Amino acid sequence: MVLSQKLHEAFKGTVERITGPRTVSAFREKGVLSVSEFILAGDNLVSKCPTWSWESGEPSKRKSYLPPEKQFLITRNVPCLRRAASIEEEYESAGGEILVDNEDNDGWLATHGKPKDKCEEDDNLPSMESLEISKKSTVVSISNHFGGEDEEDIPDMEGYDEPECLIETDPATLQSTYLVAHEPDDDNILRTRTYDVSITYDKYYQTPRVWLTGYDESRMLLQPEHVLEDVSQDHARKTVRLACPVYLMIPCDFLNFLVTIEDHPHLPGKHASIHPCRHGAVMKKIIDVLVSRGVEPEVDKYLFLFLKFVASVIPTIEYDYTMDFDLGSSSS
Amino acid sequence: MAEKGSGSILQFAPFQSSVDEGFWHRLSSLKLNKLGIDDSPIPITGFYAPCSYSQVSNYLTVITESLPSNSDEQSSMAAISHGSRNRCSVPGILYNTNTLESFHAIDKLSLLKEEAKKIWEDIHSGKAVDDSRLLSRFLLISFADLKKWSFRYWFAFPALVLDPPATLVDLRPASKWFSLQEAESVSAACNEWRNSSLTAGIFLRSDLCLILLFFFFFVSLFKAKPKPYKSAADVPFFLVSIASDSQATIRHLKDWEACQGDGQKNKNVRLTSQYAYELLFGFYDPCHLQNNPGWSLRNYLALIFSRWNIKSVCFLCYKENRGYADMGLSLVGEALITVPQGWKENQCVPDAVGWELNNKGRKVSRSIILAKSMDPTMLAVSAA
Repeated sequence: MVLSQKLHEAFKGTVERITGPRTVSAFREKGVLSVSEFILAGDNLVSKCPTWSWESGEPSKRKSYLPPEKQFLITRNVPCLRRAASIEEEYESAGGEILVDNEDNDGWLATHGKPKDKCEEDDNLPSMESLEISKKSTVVSISNHFGGEDEEDIPDMEGYDEPECLIETDPATLQSTYLVAHEPDDDNILRTRTYDVSITYDKYYQTPRVWLTGYDESRMLLQPEHVLEDVSQDHARKTVRLACPVYLMIPCDFLNFLVTIEDHPHLPGKHASIHPCRHGAVMKKIIDVLVSRGVEPEVDKYLFLFLKFVASVIPTIEYDYTMDFDLGSSSS
Repeated sequence: MAEKGSGSILQFAPFQSSVDEGFWHRLSSLKLNKLGIDDSPIPITGFYAPCSYSQVSNYLTVITESLPSNSDEQSSMAAISHGSRNRCSVPGILYNTNTLESFHAIDKLSLLKEEAKKIWEDIHSGKAVDDSRLLSRFLLISFADLKKWSFRYWFAFPALVLDPPATLVDLRPASKWFSLQEAESVSAACNEWRNSSLTAGIFLRSDLCLILLFFFFFVSLFKAKPKPYKSAADVPFFLVSIASDSQATIRHLKDWEACQGDGQKNKNVRLTSQYAYELLFGFYDPCHLQNNPGWSLRNYLALIFSRWNIKSVCFLCYKENRGYADMGLSLVGEALITVPQGWKENQCVPDAVGWELNNKGRKVSRSIILAKSMDPTMLAVSAA
């Protein structure tokens, strides 16, 4: 683990211990959530998007400031048909981004990628409007779940001697070849992964925080480093872009997303997480945009807005955040 | 009407397992702190939900809460964490052996047979009608090597074998089977069934919940037979009855007799006309495939046939899209059951199948090594 991150963690831990949870709403001013607002927004998410549910997690890791049955939100078994890197390549080959559009929003890097047919047909992308975000290196994998050892992946033990291989003959059992997930293309490379996406409340940053647990096509746990392949990132010095509606355009400065691999606050093991250090600022910006368009942002919609911008970081993980927003469509 | 696979053998897509890392963490701590070398079987709970994305099936998942907790103090919490619309609980049993040799030495066929016998007995005693989760009982054998932090395991989803196998008369998306009006009504009824527990949770404050919890506790003390379900959202098997005015109602399996009043008089109609059936046997189908029903239907058919002697079964494979009923993904099918040999005598337990294939498609155990997240020395190294 990087020393600076360790120091920061220690500092954060101490601050979290000695300070009480936020009780006064600063949703409008800072884009952050109090604990009760997090619960409110979470309840709203669960009722509108029923694939999400509250869970209580590890009893030993339970946070006293959250209700025991509402420690964090999770949606399980979310398909991820392609790697984020391949989407970026497609975008690139389809024309990529064009220009900085700053008619009235100075400092905004709003580029509308040439809407090539290929992109338009791609309904896996959360939305058509695209925005170039940052050329900085955005993904930092800090600690490694499986350590620095040169051991190989989780072995499937095929070489291992299995003394018996059961044979069940049953004409009513569908043969396994049909069991693999439906792939978008007809090639035989399996790329469908599934994710458990969870949202925890980060007491230090006072924002929600997204965690990813990945599984391969036979539902075997992925190493967190492989999870990074599904995070839109600056792999080969390519630009990271954000596919999101116009009303959610976010200045590039705000999108230095850090993806770290850390202990999950409620579940065992190391998981990949989008670091929340910028979340408050991004949410504040989004709220400001809404306000400038005459829309009164409601705090119980916080998680929908939040998940919408998170979808740009993990564009191929098809979790549910759909909601009918009238926001901004009628104005301007 | 195009009939898919008319008269062909009805083939079921096997259930698939998924194990959360937390499950192994708790098993290890149970083994170290409580069980020791006691290798008697442990009752566990698995969870699944109807398929909710068209591209991937849902899995039977075991998580931290699937195992009994280390201390007994959290037993009250267990009740809260069990069962929700996204987590239908299924009873399972874990055989954790002390050595790799004893893991291999387990008589897998007789163990499977033993679980199948429980299902068979629950069908005949009527317990499975009251608590339909018993139809999906599962079996897990494991060996936890706590020196290397590696876990070898194998799931089985016991299914009673119909011999001769059931044949498929018709199977198609529910949207193509139902009329538009019926499809809407079935969707609405299913959504209501699936959300029946949610409403309570959302509008109640936690202190009110506590009061209500006490209230229900006392009520249950006075009742002779407590209700097995608090809500319907996690009841994976149900009846769909459609009235002649296309209005659908979802009912509990227990209400089958009550449904007969309406069902019986239309029996002849059902056979002659495509759209005039009354009763469908619905179940939460975790499988995403469009040409095969999921594994859960197997024991369900056994129940339907043995209990109610129905030979021509209309079933609904209930699936969702992002948490809501989807009639395009859901399937309706009709299966014909030929009287299996020996099923009339209760003594004779049918054969069972159901050991899971590993990730390479072979019928062998799986394994996972979690040394890097569990081994204290490795953790110390990575933290340094």
